[in-house]
Amino acid sequence: MSSTTIENKVKQWHSSLSIPGKPNEWESKRLLNSIGISTPRGVFIEPGNSLAPDSDVSVLGSSRHCVVKVCSESLLHKTEAGGVLLDISENYLPAAVAKLQKTFPSAGVLVEEMVQYRGSEIIIGALYDPTFGPAIMAGAGGILTELYKDVSFRLAPCTTKEAHYLLEELTIFPTLQGYRGLSADIDSLAGTIERVAELAVHLIHRGCQLDINPIVWDTKRWVALDVRVMLDELLAVPPKAAG
Amino acid sequence: MNTSDSDLKKIHKLLNPESVAVVGASNSKGKVGNIIFKGLRRCKARLYPVNPHEDVIAGYKTYPQIADLPDTIDVAVITVRAEQAVEIAEQCGRNNIDNIIIVAGGFAETGERGKALEARLRAIPDRYGSRILGPNSLGVFVPENNFDTIFVEHGDRALAEGGGIAFISQSGSVGVEALGLASNTGFPMRAFVGLGNKIDLNELDFLKFFGADDKTDCLALYIENVEQGREFLEDARKVSRRKPVIALKAGRTPTGASAVSSHTGKLAGSDRVVSGAFRQYGIQRAFDDEELCDAAKTLSYLPPAQGNRVAVITGAGGFGVMCADYIETDSPRARLHMAELSDKTISRIQEKAPPFASCHNPVDLTATVTNEMFVHTLEALLEDTGVDTIVCITFFAPHSITDKLIDQMAVAINDSKKPVMVFTEYGPFTDTYLKEFYKKGMIGFPSLTRTVKAVRFLVERGRILSALEEEA
Repeated sequence: MSSTTIENKVKQWHSSLSIPGKPNEWESKRLLNSIGISTPRGVFIEPGNSLAPDSDVSVLGSSRHCVVKVCSESLLHKTEAGGVLLDISENYLPAAVAKLQKTFPSAGVLVEEMVQYRGSEIIIGALYDPTFGPAIMAGAGGILTELYKDVSFRLAPCTTKEAHYLLEELTIFPTLQGYRGLSADIDSLAGTIERVAELAVHLIHRGCQLDINPIVWDTKRWVALDVRVMLDELLAVPPKAAG
Repeated sequence: MNTSDSDLKKIHKLLNPESVAVVGASNSKGKVGNIIFKGLRRCKARLYPVNPHEDVIAGYKTYPQIADLPDTIDVAVITVRAEQAVEIAEQCGRNNIDNIIIVAGGFAETGERGKALEARLRAIPDRYGSRILGPNSLGVFVPENNFDTIFVEHGDRALAEGGGIAFISQSGSVGVEALGLASNTGFPMRAFVGLGNKIDLNELDFLKFFGADDKTDCLALYIENVEQGREFLEDARKVSRRKPVIALKAGRTPTGASAVSSHTGKLAGSDRVVSGAFRQYGIQRAFDDEELCDAAKTLSYLPPAQGNRVAVITGAGGFGVMCADYIETDSPRARLHMAELSDKTISRIQEKAPPFASCHNPVDLTATVTNEMFVHTLEALLEDTGVDTIVCITFFAPHSITDKLIDQMAVAINDSKKPVMVFTEYGPFTDTYLKEFYKKGMIGFPSLTRTVKAVRFLVERGRILSALEEEA
């Protein structure tokens, strides 16, 4: 995907946000989809609406178990706030949705297939460095990512070759390569990092940040389970990228 | 400001001036203007002291002000304090002097008044085309032509033989202290540049200059903040294809992450973005002044390692064991491994080794080691294709080892493409031995950890070169 294409996608995405400059998780995931990064199949239920048993559930396909999450641009720690319900079977979906809607009346709800995986959880992030401009990060993801600090950085853009070098620096690198029977497609992950870096060039201005945490290998593809884009509120209209 | 060809010519003049004015030159001993002027008498440039209160300084006719000088001046060194310095720098600009070195501090770092002075300085390059080094610059030192404006001890005599390292330091004192120490055991110096407050000339200008300079084979930088970040990196990558670029980046800049931060923002809090960026652009990062000097000296002298397999020769078992431990210790710079020696190499070593020696890696020739055994082993390891780097643990305490070993090792290594490092310590004579090794083209350190760290820099350099080649 060319840089201009990604630039255009970012522009379109900015103008599509329901609250300008404040994307929610659903919207952030659409941005990733638009540049070819997979996210779980899911449906977004606007505040006040309820789950449409046929049409909505059919989107989830054969997934027997779902994740139901509160989806709000302003709620940062949704797990801690009780806003994430895991392993919900089809029968209980309407009740789970209703429960979250009751707790968070002004927020939307995201229902997603529960992706099965057993390998490492990876984090891919992007931020703006005051000296060097847009930069990306990748490493050991999940809830303990800040504890392990097993991450490496590169500036954006970042070639797939360079993304490979980045991955080789990680302590968890062997878990992508057969360690204890764990393996994943490293080339595809490097390609994903390269694409996030290209996205960062156009998306990440001063004060903006992106977290994809975790992104996991479901034996066929890398799937971004949770995504957060934080735009500087003053920068709802993105300025020209700095040098 | 972009560095054009004419800028590079000016920087060339800054380092190789034919005429130098020293404003504030003085007859009073101990004054900065006195020390600098005295030091400059060793270079071939035409010298002009400027001081309204003196007629003659050290036998040189002295001029009251810049405008009175009878010659075109390539470099004006301004040694007076901040306020006067600005006035004089403006005079230099009006008199078309290409380069101005300002020694004085006391500018933006001292408050509003200082800031106003600095603003006046900043206007000079644009207005007159003069380039300014500093303020708060320790100046420059070029061993090749004895041009030396540094007024504190910096190992200048020891460094006088010159060499290929361009040492560019934002902090004067880090530069001179590190170099003073490094000079004890030999340090190949192309030039030292003290950047100071960088109101005009900065690391990017000198990166470009020394990158293009045929006499420079390695750049070592101490920087606290990087100006023109992306351009600096892009240029460093270009330079890195031809010669190593090592940088000690001190001072952590905040990430600009807001209080409510993402994981990414929090994890970037340390300066890991800098490490990633340096790696991506072929810059080797040093984390202290010792590492910076050691790496520069090693990379300037030795070829890059083709791989990460290290062989060790020792006459002292304990040091061999420790060395193997350090080699196998993980490091983000480069993973090293103890090389597995070929059968051929092992039987070759056995030919001359004492019967109870260990001829596997680390090769322990025991305390009965002789010069001949040592060199014979070295030759065998140089030829083993499974060995990328050799560490020689060389002690002169055993009676069977003589000082001639240094020459014999140099002959064996000759122009080998395989780097050979030396570790030696011998109490009060250590520096003397290290300097002897250096004179014969070998790099040694008085500590095993420093020696192994230097090997990692060689392996890192090899990896950078192959990555850059793949890209091209």
